[in-house]
Amino acid sequence: MRRAREPRFGYTDLPEPQRIALRKAIRLEVVTFVFMLTAVAAVFSVMGGSQAMKAAWIEDMLGLIPPVAFLLAISRARKEPTPDHPYGYHRTVATGHLTAAVALLVMGLFLIEDSAMGLLRQEHPQVGTMQLFGNTVWSGWLMIAVMVYTGVGPFILARLKLPLSEQLHDKVLYADADMQKADWMTAAGTIVGVLGIGVGLWWLDSVAALFIAGSILRDGWKNLRFASGSLNDQRARTFDDKSPHPLTYQVDDVLRDLPWISQSRSRVRDQGHVFHIEAFVRPTDEDVTLERIEEAVTALRNLDWKIHDVVVMPVRDLPEEIPDPGADQ
Amino acid sequence: MTRISSWVPAMLMSAVLPLTGCAVTIPVDPDGTLDRIRREQVVRAGASPRPGWVVVGSMTEDPTGREVDLVEGFASSLGAQVEWTVGGEEDLIGRLEDGSLDVVVGGLTDQNPFSADAAMTRPYLEEKVQGTVEAHVMFVPMGENALQSALERWLDEAVPR
Repeated sequence: MRRAREPRFGYTDLPEPQRIALRKAIRLEVVTFVFMLTAVAAVFSVMGGSQAMKAAWIEDMLGLIPPVAFLLAISRARKEPTPDHPYGYHRTVATGHLTAAVALLVMGLFLIEDSAMGLLRQEHPQVGTMQLFGNTVWSGWLMIAVMVYTGVGPFILARLKLPLSEQLHDKVLYADADMQKADWMTAAGTIVGVLGIGVGLWWLDSVAALFIAGSILRDGWKNLRFASGSLNDQRARTFDDKSPHPLTYQVDDVLRDLPWISQSRSRVRDQGHVFHIEAFVRPTDEDVTLERIEEAVTALRNLDWKIHDVVVMPVRDLPEEIPDPGADQ
Repeated sequence: MTRISSWVPAMLMSAVLPLTGCAVTIPVDPDGTLDRIRREQVVRAGASPRPGWVVVGSMTEDPTGREVDLVEGFASSLGAQVEWTVGGEEDLIGRLEDGSLDVVVGGLTDQNPFSADAAMTRPYLEEKVQGTVEAHVMFVPMGENALQSALERWLDEAVPR
């Protein structure tokens, strides 16, 4: 075992910037987890009969999953391959991503049904008073104060985590930051719902809850698509899943630039943090040596730290069944 | 969460803020129960018997007991009289739901099974009974938050802890 406590992904050594980013990300996710625990407790203690508060509470509980998934994935992914897991444990990231997505999707659906039924049955939410330091206060004011608290934390944390998710190519971290980025809207929506109860517009509470449920459902659907795409060996995409990863195009370019290679066709898949590459190359002559193959592998490895598991296979003709990565560019 | 969803809270906010400006107090009853009590000077109360808390003599005279006194006190704080209806718990809770009663008492505790149908006040009194603690509550119509808050506030001041 080499330096087991050093931050790493499997047997891939991380460059210094990534090492720093990973330490920061771990710290931030621990902070996120603790913050979300306080948020869940705070919201629960003032929740009362507001449907919007219930939705916000459930969203905060779901917010506990991504930091846990991230921390678990990081500790699993650092393990080196074993005979039983010859590719290592990088897929843990996608598994964590998928788990979070399914939780979001199911709770989003539940909350939409729950809030819509409340609206149809015209249930008037009950929000009475609370005793605070010997004074009797309308609970709505406390709810609004708590929502300001739960809105501000994620707003800051998300902005700190987003750049790290790009540096580390960590999709769980990205999904977490992306969802938290929008959490202030949940808080604002809940405040509107509670103010609605305050002025006697009982339906505004359920409408706010529906809006929150819709945002949870959207997050779930988006993440489910990307997590399952990655598990189904979709070609590697950028950290935010917006487009195919530029490396998927560069691999063939780099190989073709080597003097002994005339043509190249590659497959690049994302194992979670790191990429697995199979490249089929057509040599200019029959003189394929071990040195040349090693040179090709090194050229690819030097391209990016994420390029990790590389197989270069000399062939007489390019495999026709593998599509050109640049075909749809 | 992109463009479309970001204007929704802003729109809702702009719909509510002017309303909060003209409302005198928060919370407001959606069905205006507290205002009606002040206007008509009548609290329509339901009483279900439980020894000590609500005692029912004959059907012609008003009930007596600790909670009956509390409701009378609350009503007079609003300048209102109490119109009593005596009945079983389920019947009285049903009348809260259809809006024909404003408050129900019956020595009820926070362990009662009606909290989904009507709004339970915050426990105003805790008493030890045979080794367990009974937390006493009253009922008002669900979502009539001004009435509920007024009653809870009054009970906080009227009942020594």
